[in-house]
Amino acid sequence: MEEKYLICEDSLEGIFTGIYDAYALREGHEHLHIQMGEEENLRLFASYLHILPDPVKTEKVADTLEKRLGEHAYHALCRAAASCYPDKGEAVYKTVVDALTAGSGRRVMENLKNPYVARCFELARFTANEAHYETEFIRFQELADTETANGGVLFSRIGPKNNVIPFIMPHFADRLSIENFMVYDENRKLFGVHPAGEAWYLVTAGEAFVMQEPARSEKEEEYQELFRVFHRTIGIKSRENKKLQRQMCAYRYQDYMVEFQQK
Amino acid sequence: MFLNLRLSDCLSQIGETLGKETDNVGSVRRMNVRIAPQMSVMEKLKILGDAAKYDVSCSSSGSSRKNDGQGIGNTVAAGLCHSFAADGRCISLLKILFTNECIYDCRYCVNRCSNDVPRASFTPDEVCELTMEFYRRNYIEGLFLSSGILYSPNYTMELICETVHRLRTVHRFQGYIHIKAIPGADPLLIQRAGYLADRMSVNLEMATAEGLRAIAPNKHRKNILKPMRQIQNGITENKNELTMYKHAPHFCEAGQSTQMVIGALPESDYQIMSVAESLYDKFSLKRVYYSAFVNVNEDKDLPALVGGPPLLREHRLYQADWLLRFYHFKVDELLTVDRPNFNTAIDPKADWAVRHLECFPVEINRADYHMLLRIPGVGVKSAGRIVAARRFGNLTFEDLKKIGVVLKRALYFITCNGKMMYPTKLEEKYIVQNLTYQNQMGRGEKLPFMTDGTAYRQMSLFDNDDFGRNWRAAGG
Repeated sequence: MEEKYLICEDSLEGIFTGIYDAYALREGHEHLHIQMGEEENLRLFASYLHILPDPVKTEKVADTLEKRLGEHAYHALCRAAASCYPDKGEAVYKTVVDALTAGSGRRVMENLKNPYVARCFELARFTANEAHYETEFIRFQELADTETANGGVLFSRIGPKNNVIPFIMPHFADRLSIENFMVYDENRKLFGVHPAGEAWYLVTAGEAFVMQEPARSEKEEEYQELFRVFHRTIGIKSRENKKLQRQMCAYRYQDYMVEFQQK
Repeated sequence: MFLNLRLSDCLSQIGETLGKETDNVGSVRRMNVRIAPQMSVMEKLKILGDAAKYDVSCSSSGSSRKNDGQGIGNTVAAGLCHSFAADGRCISLLKILFTNECIYDCRYCVNRCSNDVPRASFTPDEVCELTMEFYRRNYIEGLFLSSGILYSPNYTMELICETVHRLRTVHRFQGYIHIKAIPGADPLLIQRAGYLADRMSVNLEMATAEGLRAIAPNKHRKNILKPMRQIQNGITENKNELTMYKHAPHFCEAGQSTQMVIGALPESDYQIMSVAESLYDKFSLKRVYYSAFVNVNEDKDLPALVGGPPLLREHRLYQADWLLRFYHFKVDELLTVDRPNFNTAIDPKADWAVRHLECFPVEINRADYHMLLRIPGVGVKSAGRIVAARRFGNLTFEDLKKIGVVLKRALYFITCNGKMMYPTKLEEKYIVQNLTYQNQMGRGEKLPFMTDGTAYRQMSLFDNDDFGRNWRAAGG
């Protein structure tokens, strides 16, 4: 039988719509594949279907997965779908097949013998780890001319490999509930925005968008310097170990952190 | 004169009474107040951050609290590390002393009263402002407030309580707070602190009472254990209250911890680990921290550390500590009176395994969870994953790799479906040789300080066990 490739948009919506359409085709799952973005090398004896993301189908798939697989496995699939690797679509799709069709159900993420589940597990872990690091290493700065009762608007710039903003916003929305803040993902030109006391949301800036360095509030420089001093002081000289420091906090995070910017 | 005033008035006056000698009032001892009149927050942070850095604990775990929408902050059960200092240690909390003026003269401590170091004190407002501004920028997870003993334990404890109280009520701070209980302070003050803090700690300092007497003449073991017991009882009572009344205030939700200095006195690892075990069992501590001794004062009676602080020994103690808390080991399994120190060449878990080869090889597809935990190269997470994944079918070495088992360590001790990964000998000497051979090639056990520090190479000079105690006492 002919192999069919469903070409989906690189997003959670794209992948879920792809899964919906793959099931709708009702042809054995072993001959169906999901591919992210554009086809690279065209294969002989294979046909290609272009899938447009559809919010209704996405919602149906999301509902089914959450109901049938449970919150835990569903979130793992969402994290895998936010990965930066292009084989994520296929991994998520075949994991869903293992859960719903092969019957591992709520236990699907434990079935690490299945190579797709193992891959999904790996991708989800990478996203989860990176999201965890970002919650730790994000540095907010207070912007000028935005004074409210609780201080100025907080702004942070990050450059993660995976699309982590949707996973870190709930944490900060709870923690800084009374603050106005936003997080900007440089690599995806994506903003996570939280107005004080309200729900957070995502804003996508266009491809051509260029982020200007925003003006900082008066006090900002002072607190950055205070933290730099604290950071320098708290290390014990006779135990100095830059390699360990780098292992615990990689350079790609350090680039965005005030205490590692020499002034 | 100080005691007649309100706390905050006192603090604003400390600057004015620069250089003047205060009179003896009640328990207040005669001392110089050596604070520069207008010291900036920056200078204070430099002095008081520097003074606090030898306290090891910086964890922000154990407490899980949502924000109530009225102020900033929440806590995360697993804790968050917000940065890493040049020594590779995590910076989770704003770790500062309230003041580094101290009436005590502990030999190992940089702030002892006989040292001529710059002294400073924060005001409660300064601490609050620093905490709040650092916290909203996501620099820190909360506050760790410790202090030198200013005038008396009670006076100091009251200062700390006052500061934290202000942080919790005026600023509505809901992040993590770790408070040092000052030994000798009034139980009422300790109790008050417990309701404000997520975690409290009292430092044990030395593993033995004699050691403490020799090194910290003003501290007594009894005074340290008393608040520890009080906090433990407080936590137990609070748990009962919380089952009865859901909204009862929390008392030290994240438990209590303590710290021991390692390598200042010739105590054996066995003594230290036994103390740690009984602290876990009898005082229900959450964590015991081990701090490699750094001779900051160059005290002639304390060991001079030629090769730097005893980091490898500290590392082995932490490894063993994890074995006690997560791997169901007992100290007596790891060490005995005849073998009182850990093997420096090989980690405690592998060391146990090679001395108990009768338990190996373990069949991955059959062994129970407890036995899986005892295999070198298998951790708590991978053991859990093995148990879950083998329900779907027999596991192979390939699967184990995906699960996260460190096969180059585990392969000597396991079989999958009755087969070993490679033909290996089940002999103590052979396995040790292989595990340490890899070590020398830098591929085996990953020590966190091997390549930079001279520590590791110097230690291998003294690998001989008879030598062990001597170099440790000398602080190798």
